[in-house]
Amino acid sequence: MPTEPDDDLVLTLRVNGDRRRLLIPANRTLLNLLRQDLGLTGSKHGCDVGDCGACTVLVNGAPRLSCITLAAEAQDAELLTVEGVAVGGALHPIQAAFHEQVAAQCGYCTPGFVMALKALFDERPDPTDAELNEVLGANICRCTGYTKILAAARQARERMNGRST
Amino acid sequence: MLPLPTFSVLSPRAVSDAAQMLTDHPQARLIAGGTDLLPSMKYGLFTPPTLIRLGGVSALQEISVTEAGGLRIGAGVTLRAVGRDVRVLSLYPALAAATRTIATSTIQAMGTLGGNLMLDTRCAWYNQSTFWRGALGGCLKCHSAPEGAICHVAPKGKGCYAAHSADTAPGLLLYDAEVELVSTRGARRVAVAALYGDDGRDWIRRAPDELLTAVILPPPPAGRVVHRKLRARGSIDYPLLLTAAAFDPDRGPRVVVSSVGPRPVELGGVAEAWEAGGVEAVAEAAYKQVSPLSTHVWPAPWRKKMVRVEVRRALEAAISGV
Ligand SMILES: Cc1cc2nc3c(=O)[nH]c(=O)nc-3n(C[C@H](O)[C@H](O)[C@H](O)COP(=O)(O)OP(=O)(O)OC[C@H]3O[C@@H](n4cnc5c(N)ncnc54)[C@H](O)[C@@H]3O)c2cc1C
Ligand code: SF4
Ligand code: FES
Ligand code: FES
Repeated sequence: MPTEPDDDLVLTLRVNGDRRRLLIPANRTLLNLLRQDLGLTGSKHGCDVGDCGACTVLVNGAPRLSCITLAAEAQDAELLTVEGVAVGGALHPIQAAFHEQVAAQCGYCTPGFVMALKALFDERPDPTDAELNEVLGANICRCTGYTKILAAARQARERMNGRST
Repeated sequence: MLPLPTFSVLSPRAVSDAAQMLTDHPQARLIAGGTDLLPSMKYGLFTPPTLIRLGGVSALQEISVTEAGGLRIGAGVTLRAVGRDVRVLSLYPALAAATRTIATSTIQAMGTLGGNLMLDTRCAWYNQSTFWRGALGGCLKCHSAPEGAICHVAPKGKGCYAAHSADTAPGLLLYDAEVELVSTRGARRVAVAALYGDDGRDWIRRAPDELLTAVILPPPPAGRVVHRKLRARGSIDYPLLLTAAAFDPDRGPRVVVSSVGPRPVELGGVAEAWEAGGVEAVAEAAYKQVSPLSTHVWPAPWRKKMVRVEVRRALEAAISGV
């Protein structure tokens, strides 16, 4: 007997440490799951087709564009969104650096940049400038320009490695 | 917001289950990283009733050394994992280099090698939203196009020239790689050089019930293979022109050009041109053979001029690396 495909599925996952269990339609994107089902609107809806990076989240530590990821891919996964980056009310060094360097104007792209950099720093605590540039090249900012964003990324790197800036 | 159409999902765990599901559900599409499939579905390019998710098939995610001394790379290995694998880096550097030029670091962590080789052909008149395409009355590649639709690239023709845009294909062709295709009927191998066809609507020689399971690389050639990508920005963009060149001191050069039509093309007459006039003559032969069309936003005459430049650069790099 052929296996019948599922129109809906029960998704179990952890979002920013909290266990969640939801019934969702099979065509739900991870971005819509976050924004509509879970009310986590930090991840942004930019282009919706994988071009801009505003919707970047971490799935089991790896960066993913949630607008072009099926929610089904997050079954049993550990999800981290920008809402879960600050620990105990204190900004993460990446967030603090964006704030101090004024690396946001409208701020729409900022959560995506923070998450893409978080993925990099988690993997390579002291990345080179070339590695920072490669990751910043994955995200589009339409207003600040990249100078201040790069400055913030460098400041975060220096602070997280115990060097003063 | 661009909503996804309604569909159901299947989540196999084994290759044999995935093959059975493809047989049982002939209208279904496979989804690996989804970085090509989901944007296309949001643009309404096709609306499969079912998606078969390959992410849970762990057998597709392995890289192993073959008995012949080459590599077998599972179709589900991410571009990032291919580009970082020490064996790929040392034996097939042009493949590693190609994966690192695809889209962005985030997309490389999502997209797979199998999905890249199965990447749909692309055209500036086709990879657009339903609204955008509708304003032009669609084209020959649009499933929903009304009768009388024309190709906007070659309006008098009957063919589709949408461009092969998979970055890994030209280098894999010069490494003489093969792919393994599996269905409930069995497994077969096809050379990457024979995998693609000449029409942008029907560009892949894979039967609808077949699943790509692995890329098989023979031991690397004597000389060096070089991959070059011409694109508008240093990140995100699809290619405007892809060039791969190989130089074996005994066999001479080989050159592949892609993103100029529905399949990567290994240029003819390269050995003769090389004998007659070295790198410049090969670049000139490439310029004469390759005619980019207006499938890209950037002007075709400029892309044609760049064929000469890119072939020269690729071949010089391949030679100096020997
Ligand atoms: C902004 C952006 C820029 C991009 N730039 C580039 C670029 O510069 N160069 C480039 O090459 N690509 C580019 N891509 C496309 C894409 O990211 C890559 O080609 C990627 O490797 C596709 O792999 P995937 O696993 O995501 O494929 P999917 O989207 O999952 O699948 C792609 C196609 O292959 C089929 N398929 C997948 N796996 C299999 C299998 N095992 N057997 C049979 N069929 C299968 C699917 O049914 C689908 O038709 C870009 C994408 C985006 C969003
Ligand atoms: S080449 Fe012509 S038929 Fe093919 S996608 Fe482009 S406009 Fe459509
Ligand atoms: S909203 Fe996902 S990449 Fe732009
Ligand atoms: S701050 Fe507005 S898009 Fe980046």
